[in-house]
Amino acid sequence: MKIIKQIGIIFSVCWVSLVIEKILPFAFPASVIGMILLLICLAAGLLKMEHIQEKADFLLENMAFFFIPAGVSIINYFDVLKNSVIQLIVICVVSTVVTFAVTAYSVTFTVRLMNRRREEKRDE
Amino acid sequence: MSELFASPYFGVGLSVIAFGIGVKLNRKLKTPVCNPLIVAIVIVSGVLLIFGIPYESYNVGGEIINMFLAPATACLAAAIYTRINILKKYWLPILVGCVAGSAASMGSVYGMCRLFGLDDSLTISLIPKSVTTPIAVSIAEPAGGVVPVTVVAVIGTGILGSILAPYLIRIFRISDPVAAGLAIGASSHAVGTSKAIEIGEVEGAMSGLAIGICGIITVLFSMLAF
Repeated sequence: MKIIKQIGIIFSVCWVSLVIEKILPFAFPASVIGMILLLICLAAGLLKMEHIQEKADFLLENMAFFFIPAGVSIINYFDVLKNSVIQLIVICVVSTVVTFAVTAYSVTFTVRLMNRRREEKRDE
Repeated sequence: MSELFASPYFGVGLSVIAFGIGVKLNRKLKTPVCNPLIVAIVIVSGVLLIFGIPYESYNVGGEIINMFLAPATACLAAAIYTRINILKKYWLPILVGCVAGSAASMGSVYGMCRLFGLDDSLTISLIPKSVTTPIAVSIAEPAGGVVPVTVVAVIGTGILGSILAPYLIRIFRISDPVAAGLAIGASSHAVGTSKAIEIGEVEGAMSGLAIGICGIITVLFSMLAF
C-alpha cells in the first residue's frame, strides 16, 4: 500500500503539471513543471520525503532503464546519421570540455569574489 | 507469430533482460564505456534487426516504459531537496555556474553545428545534449528535433564526461570541490554524477544539484531561442 500511495502522489503531481502545461501561455515541458511542483510541495512542507522516498529512489536509480525505447528508435534513423557521425562525435567532445571549463571557472571566480567581499567586511 | 511480438510483454520483457545484462556487464568491467543503457540499446536493436521484428511491435511495450519518464524527471526534485542545505549555502556560485555552463554548452553546440553545416533538425536535437535525458527530450521534441539523436547524444556526452572528468579537473587545475562537482554535473548530468560521487562527497552532491538546475536553466534558454 505504501508504494501504491507513493506512485499515486508522484503520478498526481505529473498529471497536475500536465494541466499547468496546458494553462500556461508559453511552451514549458510538463516534466520540468512536475519537478518544480514537487520541489515546492517538499519545501512548503505539503509533502515530506517519506511520502515519496521509495518511489523516488526507484525512479532515480533506474532512470536509465526508461530511456531504452527512445534510444532503440535510433535504428529508424541510421540513414540520417550515417553521414554526420564524425561531426557528432567532435561536437560532443568539444562542447563537453568547453562546458566543464566554463562552469568550473565561473564557480571558482564567484567563490573567490564572495570570499574577498567577506574579508573586506571583516576588515572594516 | 508476429502478433506475439506486438504484445506489451515482449517489449517490456526484452528491455528488462537487456538492461539487466547491461548492469551486470557494467559491474564486472567497471568502465563507463560499458554504460548499461548503451548495452541495452545495442542488445534490443540487435534482437529487432536480427529477427526482423518491426520497431512498432517492440514499441507497444516501449510506450509503457516511456510513461515513467515524466515521473522520473519530477523525482529529480527529491535529489535537489535532500541537498537543500548546501544549495542555500552556495546558491550564488551554483546559479552562476549553471547559467554559464548551460549557455556555454548550448552556444558551443550551436556554433559547431553551423560550422559543420548540419541541418536544423539535427542542430535542435543536439543543443540540449548536456542536460539529463528527459529534459533534453522535452526541449528537442516540440522544437522539431530527432528524439533518438538527442537520447544518444545525451548518453554519449554523459559517458564522455565521466571518463574525462578526473583529467579535466587536473588539466584546468580546479582545486575547489564545489567548482569541480558543478562542472561535472553541468557538462555530463547523471552519468557524470556517478563519477563525481566516486571523486568525493561534495563533488557528488554538487553534481547532483547541477542536473536539475541546469535542466531548468536550459529549458528557459531554449524558450528564448526557439
